[in-house]
Amino acid sequence: MYVATKGGEAAIQESEKLFHALKGQPTRDLVHAIAESLPYLVDRVMGEASLYAPELAALAIAQSGGDLYEAVLLLRAYRSTQPRLAYASPVTPDKTLTVRRISAAFKDIPGGQVLGPSLDYSHRILKLEILDGSDRAVSDLHSNGHNAPDATTVDESKPDSPASPSYPFVADWQRSAGLLAALPVQESRQPADIPDVTRDPALFPAPREHRLQALARADTGGVLALGYASMRGYGLIHPTVNELRLSHAEIEVTHPVTGEPFSAGRVRVSQAEVVTSGDKTGLSLGFAATLGWNEVKLIAAATLDLEMNQAEPHPAHTEEFVMYHTEPVEASGFCIHFKLPHYVTFASSLDNLRKVIATYYSANEDNAELEPMTQRTP
Amino acid sequence: MTTTALESLALPREDYAYGFLDAFAKRELRRRTLKAIAIPGYQVPYASRELPIARGWGTGGLQVSLSLVGPESVIKVIDQGSDDSVNAANLRRFITRMSGAATTTDVLEATIIQSRHRIPEEVLREEQALVLQVPDPEPLRAVQSDSSKTHQMHADSDYSQLWLVLYEQLVRYKQYLQGASYPSLVNGRYVISPSPIPRWDTPKLHQAAHLTLLSAGREKRLYAVPPYTDVYPLEFSDVPFQVEDQRTWADAVTGVVNKFMNEIPQVDGTSAYEVSDSGYLDKLVAQQQGERQAFGATYYDDEGNFYKDGYLKALVRPQ
Repeated sequence: MYVATKGGEAAIQESEKLFHALKGQPTRDLVHAIAESLPYLVDRVMGEASLYAPELAALAIAQSGGDLYEAVLLLRAYRSTQPRLAYASPVTPDKTLTVRRISAAFKDIPGGQVLGPSLDYSHRILKLEILDGSDRAVSDLHSNGHNAPDATTVDESKPDSPASPSYPFVADWQRSAGLLAALPVQESRQPADIPDVTRDPALFPAPREHRLQALARADTGGVLALGYASMRGYGLIHPTVNELRLSHAEIEVTHPVTGEPFSAGRVRVSQAEVVTSGDKTGLSLGFAATLGWNEVKLIAAATLDLEMNQAEPHPAHTEEFVMYHTEPVEASGFCIHFKLPHYVTFASSLDNLRKVIATYYSANEDNAELEPMTQRTP
Repeated sequence: MTTTALESLALPREDYAYGFLDAFAKRELRRRTLKAIAIPGYQVPYASRELPIARGWGTGGLQVSLSLVGPESVIKVIDQGSDDSVNAANLRRFITRMSGAATTTDVLEATIIQSRHRIPEEVLREEQALVLQVPDPEPLRAVQSDSSKTHQMHADSDYSQLWLVLYEQLVRYKQYLQGASYPSLVNGRYVISPSPIPRWDTPKLHQAAHLTLLSAGREKRLYAVPPYTDVYPLEFSDVPFQVEDQRTWADAVTGVVNKFMNEIPQVDGTSAYEVSDSGYLDKLVAQQQGERQAFGATYYDDEGNFYKDGYLKALVRPQ
């Protein structure tokens, strides 16, 4: 029974048991298999959860049966239990190990286009041989069919010439060419003074830090929908991908006792810049970055970053609209809350409806003046 | 020095902090709550942490409850009036698991009552806190979607557009159309959404002995109606605010009237009715079966009279 007058607790326990019975209990092996073989899924969950913990993200995916909103919520809720112990040094792209970096703005760029790991140019053909147990198909799974070089594969014949760990910025070249405004001088700040959207109330207009943080942890699908609507012509921005990067970054923390910096671990990060030449006085830059590798989200997010600066953006591209409605945990949670009983609030509006019907449909009333009634039920 | 010696210096491992939230989050919530109490009806922004239940399912109320709860607390959780709905059971189970607090369905025994959209029928006391879950804290949202503008409108006490909405409803339908979350003026200063409690419950906030805390987790706002504070639903002086008209509805089991009812559609096309407040109904049923039960005074008596004389105008049938 939906609202049991008795036995609600037993009902939810049985319901949860049935959920797990239908998908099998997660095991440690399954969690490790997910972490190793589904890194892009794990990245998406970690990025939206704002918690870099591949093993925990894989556990969340296994535990939720692959329901991504549930997985993100599991990880976010775990994050709520963790105190902030220290602040890492800023991760600057010149110190990251970049494995993929492309620009659509120019045919070639200083440092070169580095395709890196990507399925962009692969043939999207199901490798049905895998179902037959073919090993060859497995080894061939990620090839493009024409043997494109893979930047992450160490070429053992040339151990002394590793790929360049960092690359110059396309935007720097544009700044030196007078196409893009110079970066404003940043005052150095204590990390604790940087606004944090997970620790501060959301107020609008939002500080830029909040906007970039909100985009970093935004729902991939939500950002894509709003970004795509903008690209398709509902917004004012036609984005050009100035630079897209997938990297590994060391997280450097100062030791609380010795004062020495040390690496607390290595994380996957990605960032995107899009440019637009909309106002013809120079290029404008939109930016987004996130934990994990998630290219489609970042291109859409960087576009929205520009869109939200426009004087008269599409209503769906105002800062408040974008930040509130691309929040994965809040959006999904509120949507599914409509499964909760609403009979009290519904009864309250039915009461009005019945009175209005009684007023207008009573025998001596003129029915012609009846207007259609619309009312929002909270 | 051995590892064992190091371990002996550390506290035993605890998977979760008391009350789930870490101490910083609880401190923030308590400070914001104090501010909300100090400025009745003012929406205080707060950071709002994620909790292990879905957003929009009571995380705002739950954060406030977790910041209030102690081992001696007695928790009652209701959802649409019911203690036993799955969501209420789930929240109650979580608060108890994280705090060790006792639980009850009897409002007389509770120290903290977390509720989704109902205020119990029995009058709350001074030492009780009512925590209402709020889906949308902004009464101006329907007339102004930009929160920086609604902030200004609240600062200016500019509620003209809400009055206009009420006026348009009267012109078109000869009555107010707002169902639950009826906008109400608190302490003569701020208009609040009292959360989607039915209009039946709105008057219970006026000059109440208990503290009411309203918290919206998704929207990251909390506000309060402190004890003994004026709360008036918006109404024109010649067209009174009206609670739901359920005068002819009687509880199918106990025959009780003039309490807020759930309407239960029957297969033959008719309706049966049941008292919405399940904790109160349980006691009524137990008493009819011969068990002795303790009852508190109710906000509405058996004739439907509100306990504060003169606060509510008589119900009128539509003309």
